[in-house]
Amino acid sequence: MIAMVDCNSFYASCEQVFRPDLWGKPVVVLSNNDGCIIAANKEAKAMTHIAMFEPMFKIKDQLIKNKVTFFSSNYTLYGEMSQRVMNILETFSPNVEVYSIDEAFIDVAGIAHISLKQYATLIKDTIVTHTGVPVGVGIAPTKVLAKLANKISKKVEKFDYVCVIDTDEKRIKALKWAQTKDIWGLGKKHQARLKNIGVFTAYEFTQLPLAWVRKEMTVVGERLWRELRGESCIEFQTMPKSKKAIGTSKSFGKKLEDLPRIEEACAYYISEVAEVLRAQKSCATYIQVFVTTNRYSAADKQYSNSCTITIPVPTNNTFILTQYARKALKRIYRTGYRYKKVGVNLTGLIPQQYVQGNLFQSPALYDKRLMNVIDALNHKFGKATVGSALVGTRVAQWELVKKDRSNRYTTQWGELLELKNK
Amino acid sequence: MEYLQTGKIKKQAPNHKASVSTQTGFPSPATHYLEPSIDLNKELIRHKDATFYVRVSGDGWAEFSMLDRDVLIIDRALTPKAGNLVLIVQQGVFKVIHFPVNNRSSSFIVWGTITYIIHYTL
Repeated sequence: MIAMVDCNSFYASCEQVFRPDLWGKPVVVLSNNDGCIIAANKEAKAMTHIAMFEPMFKIKDQLIKNKVTFFSSNYTLYGEMSQRVMNILETFSPNVEVYSIDEAFIDVAGIAHISLKQYATLIKDTIVTHTGVPVGVGIAPTKVLAKLANKISKKVEKFDYVCVIDTDEKRIKALKWAQTKDIWGLGKKHQARLKNIGVFTAYEFTQLPLAWVRKEMTVVGERLWRELRGESCIEFQTMPKSKKAIGTSKSFGKKLEDLPRIEEACAYYISEVAEVLRAQKSCATYIQVFVTTNRYSAADKQYSNSCTITIPVPTNNTFILTQYARKALKRIYRTGYRYKKVGVNLTGLIPQQYVQGNLFQSPALYDKRLMNVIDALNHKFGKATVGSALVGTRVAQWELVKKDRSNRYTTQWGELLELKNK
Repeated sequence: MEYLQTGKIKKQAPNHKASVSTQTGFPSPATHYLEPSIDLNKELIRHKDATFYVRVSGDGWAEFSMLDRDVLIIDRALTPKAGNLVLIVQQGVFKVIHFPVNNRSSSFIVWGTITYIIHYTL
C-alpha cells in the first residue's frame, strides 16, 4: 500500500505557523517580484469574487479591501519547512519519494500493528504537531489511487484529511466520486476527449475497453487505467530524477535599459543555474537567453527576443557559460527599450562523465577544481560569496522586489520570530 | 516543481575516531580518554525537526525568567506536563503560561513546549 501525503496550501500554511493572528483568515503568497498570486489558502480561495490569477497590480486594492493578507514568496522558509516534513515522513517509512516541495509518496507496505487508517491519522497528527503544517493523507494500493484518496481526504469533509482505499468497494465508490479532472496526470486534452464520448467520472474511464485506451491515449492512458483499477504500474522512485533542462528568469525590481546592468543580472542567473547543474553532475549543450519588456505597461514600447547558442563542448563551468550567455544577450539586446526580465535556460543536459570533446577542444580544458572551490566557498559562506566578476556588485539595483516577505524564521538567527510583550 | 537535494542540511557524522596519539614526542596520556566535544545541538535539541527558536521582546515575561532579547528553544514534539512552560496562542496572540494541572480548557492552543531560555549576559 502507498500513502500520498500532501500539505494543505503549503506556502500559506508555512506563513501562518508563525502568525497566529492570521489563523482562519485569508492568506495568499505572491510570485517572485510580487507579480501575481501563486498560492492561496482555503479562506482566500473561498473569495471567488476576486480574480486570483490576475496580475497583482490589478487586484491589490481588492485584496486589501477584503482583508486578504499577502506575502512575497519566502522560498527559504518553505524549503526548510518542507525538509522538516520530509524528515518526519522518513520516521514512518524507509521508502519516501519526495514528489514536490509539499507532497510525498511513502511506502506503507507491511504496517500490521495498527490499521492503515490509524497509521494515516498518526502521520497527519504528527506532522501538524511537530511543524504546524497541516496535511492530508491518502492511502491506496497504487500511486494514482493514493493521489485520488488524498484529494478525497481534503474535499469530502467527513474524511477529515484521512482517506484509505483498501477494499474494492471503497475503490469503486472513490472512482464514482471522481470526475476525470480529478485523475492525477490526465491532461486537459484527454479530459475533453473523454467528455466527447460521454465519460465523465473516473469509474466510467476504467470501464472503457483497454484496447481503446491504449490506442487513443497511449501508454500513459493505459497506465492510469490500470492504476485506477488497482494494478500498480508506476514505480517508486526514491532518487530524484536528473533534470532535462534548467532555467531561471525573474523580473527585475525595476525596468532596466542599459546593457551592463542586464548583463549582470544574466550572469547572476547563470551562476545560479550552473550551480544546480554541477550539483546534479550534468553539463549543458545549449544555452538560451531571452529578454522581454513589460507587456502590461501600455506606455512602453514592446520587445522580446531570445537566442540559443550551441556550446562546442558541453560544460557546467560558470565562466564558460557566462561567456556564451553574454554573446547571446548581445545579439538580442536592442537599445531604447525598458526591459522587465531576462532569463536563461540550459538544455541538452548530459551526465558530466559522458562529455565529448572535439578535435580542437578537450573537455578537460577547464579545471574542475576551480568550480569545486567556488561551490564549497559559497556553501560555507552563503550564496554568491564568490563568482564571476561580471555579476558585479549592484545586485540591489535590479534584484527582485520582495516587499512583503516574512522573516526567514528557521534559518536566520537575526530574523527569529519575535514575541512582543508589554 | 521538482525537489532538489542541493542545500540539504547534512547531519554531522558522529565522531568515532579511535584515539591514536598524534603527538610526535611523548604519546599523550589522554590517549584512551578522548571524547567528542560537547555539541549543543545534541544536548539542547531532542527533536530537530520539531524545534523552533523564538526571541522575546520586552520584559513583560520576567516572571517566567524571560527577559528582553532572550531566545527560547521550543520543542513542538513534546506533550506538555503540568507546570511546564508553554507557548500558547489565545485569540490569535502568543502568550507564555505554566501548563495547568487539569487542562480541560480549550480557550488556548499549545504552540510548543519551552525547553530552554537562552540569556545573553554581556
